[in-house]
Amino acid sequence: MDASVELDRVVMRFGDFTAIEETSLAIASGEFFSFLGPSGCGKTTLLNIVSGFLTPSAGAVRIGGEAMAGVSVNRRPTAMIFQNLALFPLMTVFENIEFGLEVRGVDRKTRRATSERLLALVALEGSGPKRVTELSGGQKQRVAIARALAVEPRVLLLDEPLSALDLKLRQHMRVELKAIQRKTGITFIYITHDQGEALNMSDRVAVMSAGRIQQVADPMTLYRSPQTGFVAAFVGENNRLEAKVIDRQGERVRLDGGALGELSGRATAPTPLANGAAAALYVRPEHLRPVAPGQGLEATIEALHFEGAWVMLETRLAASGEKLRVQLGHELSRQHLEALRPGQNAHFGFDPEDAVVLPDDGGPALDEATGEVVEAGHV
Amino acid sequence: MFRQLKARFGGPLAAAILALLGIWLIVMVTLPQLQMIDYSLRPNLLPAQLGGPEDRWTLTNYVTLFNNEIHRAIFFKTLWSSVLVTLLTLAVSYPLAYYLAKLASPRQAALCLLLLIIPFWINEILRTYSWFIILAFRGPLNEVLMMLGLIERPIRFLSGDAGVMVGMVYAYILFMVFPIYNAIESLDDNQVRAARDLGAGTLRTHRRIIIPHAKPGIATGCIMTFMLAAGSYAVPALLGSPGSRWFTQIIYNWFFEGGNWNQGAAYAFLLLILCIGFMSLVMKVFKVGLGDIAK
Repeated sequence: MDASVELDRVVMRFGDFTAIEETSLAIASGEFFSFLGPSGCGKTTLLNIVSGFLTPSAGAVRIGGEAMAGVSVNRRPTAMIFQNLALFPLMTVFENIEFGLEVRGVDRKTRRATSERLLALVALEGSGPKRVTELSGGQKQRVAIARALAVEPRVLLLDEPLSALDLKLRQHMRVELKAIQRKTGITFIYITHDQGEALNMSDRVAVMSAGRIQQVADPMTLYRSPQTGFVAAFVGENNRLEAKVIDRQGERVRLDGGALGELSGRATAPTPLANGAAAALYVRPEHLRPVAPGQGLEATIEALHFEGAWVMLETRLAASGEKLRVQLGHELSRQHLEALRPGQNAHFGFDPEDAVVLPDDGGPALDEATGEVVEAGHV
Repeated sequence: MFRQLKARFGGPLAAAILALLGIWLIVMVTLPQLQMIDYSLRPNLLPAQLGGPEDRWTLTNYVTLFNNEIHRAIFFKTLWSSVLVTLLTLAVSYPLAYYLAKLASPRQAALCLLLLIIPFWINEILRTYSWFIILAFRGPLNEVLMMLGLIERPIRFLSGDAGVMVGMVYAYILFMVFPIYNAIESLDDNQVRAARDLGAGTLRTHRRIIIPHAKPGIATGCIMTFMLAAGSYAVPALLGSPGSRWFTQIIYNWFFEGGNWNQGAAYAFLLLILCIGFMSLVMKVFKVGLGDIAK
């Protein structure tokens, strides 16, 4: 069955406010697709447009090639898992799961068989007669999944369904969700502000900011080759160094880092980088390595956070005074690590293959205090 | 309770509060009721016979109702009509409460609530009189209906059950709207969205999700409306007489026209038993407890 989802030049406006700028997107049948973005970026609005709770101001939604205009929520081949799950508290687990089937006039026996099968799928055998209020957070989560799957949707829409769970359970449910998706072959559209979830489970991720899709790519590409400053800053951690383009050969770009000297990295965006243009070089903390004095970037260590598997250094560049975060891992010997002390100077270098050069779009910056991404021009 | 009050207000004040509460409950509620029960169980005697051999407890006053065919008919008619008033009020109030709780914008809801409440600043008798005017044989309602060509000759709304129904639904609508409104308002919107998303149409969403959630509110509204309707005097007296008589009018007659307080008290208690019976029935049907209703 074709369970592809297509957004064709969809726009959503609320009065003067444009929640979704013109967006076109094709999600393949059976894909695990995530929308990742900070709250208020429009990802939930997009989900509501696909489910039918909202009618787009312009553009079309197609599911399995069929236009969804005029098809109301209760007639769409989608099912939603709500952020607060929205289980029916006055009903038992069975009744919750069978609700969609009851609506469709499925007889009692078939209904019960289906719900038993789904309870087995979500590993909740025997919980059918319980009231949903008796269940734990993780169990409720599973019931919500079973209830949505019961109506055999072609597309399952998940609105941050794991956000209410504690860390361990969340990680466990990621694995289960992925397994359920593989088993059922249903298209999953997953909304989250948690990049770990998005990168971990998805076939492809769309990063959204201020009502616009910034980049759509598989998780690896998204992480390795962000195409906008927002994606570089929002997905994973990045150090941003401002520079000017010296020249470009293929992907490799040489930059004039001012006081930092010459830098080089990889161009990832299709946008041209003219010689002399302002650019930003992004290098992830884990891509920085200690190098011999006289090479790389000299920085003063200001703080050292031991995280077990790695050490995060907060340093300040000697030449420019900018902050530089450095993550050092298991490959360093103990002696090496013990030599790193706040107040000391060290030199850090990186492989230009690991550094990304993007046009300086003056784009979103990280709030230094909270570490959160501040969206440019979005209130 | 004393401990909580003491913690809050200190010993003497807590004791005073409890004493006042006790006096109010015993002297002003319980004792008069006991007095009435005593009245209802004694025959109506001349002053000279009081304390005499005939002045003893008997169920005669209660039996009167079952031997008097007219009174019996009115008793059951009051029961039936009150049920009807309750159902009509529910039918009018539920959509209104749903609109207020879930569909209206905050401004619309505030305006609507204000419009509902303002008439209740006016005395019930006056409000009932205004319906008397509206529903009159040569009143504005008949005029409008005839002007629109819907009827050829005026309808006699008054002095019958129709007028009483209209008047009562209007008089008690708030007692139905507010409990239901409160109940529906506490429903998570996502519940409704989830039901829709799973394929439920409007009717089924109401039947399976919204009404079950609003059940305590509906039960509270029904009980209040029924009690008020069954115990109503002004509305049937003004809008219904002489065609539609209410049991309260008979009680009134025993007390103030017949001068037979004993008989009146017995009838009043029969009405009370009826109301309590109805209340328990509603609570049983809706499977709600007293605690749910007090919420």
